[in-house]
Amino acid sequence: MSGKSALVHDRGLEEYGFGDDHPFNPVRIRMTLELCEAAGLLDGYEFTATEPATEEDLLTVHSLNYVRRVQQASAGGGGLEDLAHYGIGTADNPAVPGVHEAGARVVGAVLGACRMVMSGGADHAMCVSGGLHHALRSKASGFCFYNDAGVAIARMKQEHPGIRVAYVDTDAHHGDGVQWMFYDDPEVLTVSMHESGRYLFPGTGGVEERGRGNGLGYSVNVPLEPFTDDASWLECFDEVVPEALRSFGPDIILSQNGCDGHRLDPLTHLAATTRIYEEIPRRVHGLAHELCGGRWIATGGGGYDIQRVVPRAWTALWAVVSHKELPEKVPEAWLERWSPKSPIALPRLMRDDPADYPAGPRAPEIKERNRRAVEEVRRSVLPLIQPR
Amino acid sequence: MLLVQDSMSREVVTLTPETTAAEALKLCRERGIRHLPVMQDDRLVGMVSDRDLRSATPALGDPARAAALEEIVVSGVMSWEVATAHPEDPIEMAANAMRERGIGSLPVVENGRLVGIITSSDVMEALVRLVGAHEPGSRIEVSMPDRPGSLAEVAALFRDADVNVVSALAGPSTGDDRRVAVFRAATIDPAPVVRLLEEAGYPVLWPPGG
Repeated sequence: MSGKSALVHDRGLEEYGFGDDHPFNPVRIRMTLELCEAAGLLDGYEFTATEPATEEDLLTVHSLNYVRRVQQASAGGGGLEDLAHYGIGTADNPAVPGVHEAGARVVGAVLGACRMVMSGGADHAMCVSGGLHHALRSKASGFCFYNDAGVAIARMKQEHPGIRVAYVDTDAHHGDGVQWMFYDDPEVLTVSMHESGRYLFPGTGGVEERGRGNGLGYSVNVPLEPFTDDASWLECFDEVVPEALRSFGPDIILSQNGCDGHRLDPLTHLAATTRIYEEIPRRVHGLAHELCGGRWIATGGGGYDIQRVVPRAWTALWAVVSHKELPEKVPEAWLERWSPKSPIALPRLMRDDPADYPAGPRAPEIKERNRRAVEEVRRSVLPLIQPR
Repeated sequence: MLLVQDSMSREVVTLTPETTAAEALKLCRERGIRHLPVMQDDRLVGMVSDRDLRSATPALGDPARAAALEEIVVSGVMSWEVATAHPEDPIEMAANAMRERGIGSLPVVENGRLVGIITSSDVMEALVRLVGAHEPGSRIEVSMPDRPGSLAEVAALFRDADVNVVSALAGPSTGDDRRVAVFRAATIDPAPVVRLLEEAGYPVLWPPGG
C-alpha cells in the first residue's frame, strides 16, 4: 500500500487552547510535530497551510446565533448573559480571546485536508489539530467550539453530491457532535468506539443510538467497559469496523484519532497502550485502500497525558499516514529539548512495553461484556447498512 | 415536573367488554402496545393486557386456537379491580403502584374520565430525563454524611469548580449514617471538582483516583 501523504499544519493552529491550567493544551501539537521531525518522519515533507473556515463554512452545521455568540465572546464582548446557554464561558470551554478565529482555523485545516484528498492532491492527509468532535450545532461542549469534522463532511457533501463519507472515531469519549449532525443521513456513516457513557462524558453513545429516519443504521456505537485493554479493544474494532465500512462502501474515510483511551490518560478510565494507536491507523489505512482508493484524512482529538502519550501516539499515526517506519527509541534530541519542560519523566521508547501494562484482574469479565456489546451491534445495527 | 401528566400517553386505544380476543390481540400487534383499558359507556371498567389474552387462549399451533380467539371476549379475561393514577400524581407514586401490584401500566383518570395511560416504559423515559442522561455530562458519585447541609456543601464545591450541574440525586441513607449523591456535571473533566470534594472530606466513589 502506498500513496501521497500531506501533513496539514501551520503555527496558527497551535493557538486553539485555553491556557496552561486547562487540560486542552496545544503544546501537545508542538511536542508531536517535533517528535515526528526528530524521528526523521518529516524528511521530504513540508507543512501544508490552509485558509481558516469562512462563516459560511461554519454555518453548514452550526446555527447563526451560536456563531455570533462565539464571535462576540471571542472579541471580549462582556455582558452576554446567555453565553452559558451556548456552553460558552464554562470551565470546559472558557471564552478566551480569539477563540473564534482559532476554532475557525482548525475547521479550515481539516476542511482543506479533505479537499486536498478529494481533488487528488494527496491520497492521505493528517491534521492533528482537528478532532473537535463534541461541538454541537448551537453549543460549545467538551473543549470544542466548532466541529471540524462536521463542517468538512457537510462541505464535501455539497461539493460532491452523492458522496458517501465514513467517519471513524476512536477517541475515549463518544463522538456525539458529529453523530448528531448526521443522525438522519444515510450518506454519512459514523462509527464511534468509546468508554461507556454510563459514567464518562458525554454520557451518550449506547448501542441503541443507531440513527434516525433514513439514517437508521448509519450511526454505529461501540461502548467499551472502563479499563478495557488493547486486546479487547482491537477485537471489538475488528468485529465491527471493517464489516460496517465494507457494507457501506465509502468514497472517503475521515478518522478521529483521540488518544485519551490510554491507561495514563487522566480524564478517562480505559487501559490501552500505544499499541492501539499504531494498530487502529493501520487498519483504517488498509480499509481506505481496499474501499475508496486510499482516500483518508486522519485528525487528532482528545489526549490529556500530553507528555507521555500524545506525542508518541500521533507520531505513530503520522508514520502510518506517511508509510514510514516508526523508530524504536525516542530520539535523544527531543528528550533533551522537552525533558526540562516536562513535570514527569518522558518515555525512552516509542512503543509502550507490554510488561509495564499487565492485564487487570477483571480483564476476562471486561472482555466478555465488550463482546456482548459487539454482538448487539452486529445483530441490530450492521444489517441495516445498505450499499449504495 | 415529574408528574404523571408529563410522561403519560394521551392517545389511548380502548376496548369494550364485548371485544373478541382475536380483535384485541390484533390491536396489540398493530399498535405495538401491551395494555388496553376496557370502557363501557365512557366509564373505565377494567384493564386487559396481551398476556391476559394469550394465557386465556390455546397456544399458537393448537387447532382450537382460531375458534377460541373468536369466542373469548375481553370481559372474561380482564381485571375488574383497576388501579388508576391521576394526571397530577407524582410519577414516583405511579411507579410505586405499578411495582407493588406487579403490573406494567396504569390508566390515568381525571373526574371519572380516562385521559391517558402511563406504562413502565414511560417511567423509564422519565428516569433518563431526570438524571439528565440526554445532555452531555460526566457522572460523579459522592458519599456524604447524613446530616443537614451536606448536600449544600457538596453542591457549593461544584460552584467553586465553575461546573454546571445537569442533575443531582441524593439517595437514601446507606445504613452507616451516610448518603450517596449522584451528580451529572456538564464537564468533560471532573478531576478538579473531584479534587475539591476529596479535600473537603467527601469520598468520591466514581470516578476512581481523582
